Amino acid sequence: MSYTGVLDLFASKKNEKTIISSCYYEGALKIARPIYLEGDSPSIYLIHVGGGYVNGDSYFTQIQVDDSAHLLVTTQSSTKVYKTPTEPVRHQTKIKLGFGSVLEYIPDPLIAYEDARFIQETEVEIERDSCFFYSDIITPGWAKDGGFFKYEWIRSKLKIYREGQLVLFDHLFLEPDQQMNGIMQMEGYTHIGTFILIHEQVNKKFLDEFYSHLIENFPDVHLGLSALPNQGGILRLLANHSGIIEAIIAEAQTFSRRLLLNKESILWRKY
Amino acid sequence: MDNDLIPLLQLCDSNFPSGAFSHSFGLETYIQEQVIVDKESFKTAISAFVDKQLVFSDGLACRLSYEILESTRGINELLEIDRLLYVSSLAMETREGNRRIGERMAKLCLELYPSTTLGEYLQFIKNKQGYGHSALVFAFVAHHLQIDKEKILSAYLFASVSSLIQNAVRGVPLGQTDGQKLLVEMQVKIHEAKNRIMMLTKDDLGAVSPGLEIAQMRHERLPVRLFMS
Repeated sequence: MSYTGVLDLFASKKNEKTIISSCYYEGALKIARPIYLEGDSPSIYLIHVGGGYVNGDSYFTQIQVDDSAHLLVTTQSSTKVYKTPTEPVRHQTKIKLGFGSVLEYIPDPLIAYEDARFIQETEVEIERDSCFFYSDIITPGWAKDGGFFKYEWIRSKLKIYREGQLVLFDHLFLEPDQQMNGIMQMEGYTHIGTFILIHEQVNKKFLDEFYSHLIENFPDVHLGLSALPNQGGILRLLANHSGIIEAIIAEAQTFSRRLLLNKESILWRKY
Repeated sequence: MDNDLIPLLQLCDSNFPSGAFSHSFGLETYIQEQVIVDKESFKTAISAFVDKQLVFSDGLACRLSYEILESTRGINELLEIDRLLYVSSLAMETREGNRRIGERMAKLCLELYPSTTLGEYLQFIKNKQGYGHSALVFAFVAHHLQIDKEKILSAYLFASVSSLIQNAVRGVPLGQTDGQKLLVEMQVKIHEAKNRIMMLTKDDLGAVSPGLEIAQMRHERLPVRLFMS
């Protein structure tokens, strides 16, 4: 099948430093030149060349991080999905982490506008001793009448495999209806944020400290944190604007970097 | 004589020792956060629970498992459903609660209605190649007893709703009469949920609601708890 945009990225370690050893892109996806905000690991900014995703678009992204390499991935700006009168937009992402590698995958929010239908399917394969940080923010776009939840639906599926075994299946299906604002769904909020971390040192003690740290810094936020089946954790929160979710995810990333990777916070300077 | 009736009544009896008695699956968080305070607010909550959790996870998994048993496609596909249920439950307590209930029911039902397929499932659970979930156990028992698919789906949904209402009577608290009235009021919802499940596909499995997941996670950090999840 032919895609609206393809991006295939391979990062590997060469002399104590991670380099982008191969990078292929075509169509509407590309990346900016890698930036070394830290001496040894590059930050990659994903770019959508057009203004946003439109009817029937399909995208495929593959990111592979070789053994012992450390890569940081973000986007240059938010991902916008516009109306899809005949065909939903589909974005597939495949991520592979080699032995002892690190990938921090922290994109900007997804904004779904009026009448948008969007399918996001992400599969992550992780080998032993590696570390994976992942975030996702889903927000409703502005609509003419000022109302929220004008998109038709968003289906997001994230599967994480560790050493070949499925350890997480996060399936969000958001289809605005009469109860969308209500209990168990959005609880009166509009924006959803997720932060996932996988690392061999993520245990109950770490998660307890992580939770206390978040609650101290963001006492009034509606968030939950729990342990994944095997050395991992998931943070999920609801809020009414992206800013607070981005701040919490940034704090979560900083905290995890400090405790798990012994590294300082990263400042991506986008705007 | 209706051969289905008595086994179904027994399986769905709120005294059936599955362990569901100890779990609120996140509802207790809403009770403590004063979102659920009376019969009406509990009805809104349990309706949402049926529409989301029971339709897209438990109920759909029960239907898919039953169909796999009918088609004799084999244990691997059943274990895939079992694993998807386990890993799509993002809150640890709820995930472990479901697993414990599933294993306990599998053991008990194997004593009551011995069948090769259920025995095989339990063996996989014991070998840690399977996790255990009540949705699969209901499917195994129903298929073995040749109970109709839609009938077992309705029965499974009823058993889940009935158990949550019993827990709400203790937890909210609600009056016994209110609990029973609510169970009658939920009949239409259960019927609709069953019809909805029949329209879904495997692609829909495990789609859950963000608010409920967060409530299940927050339950793990409630200082005082009546329920294990």
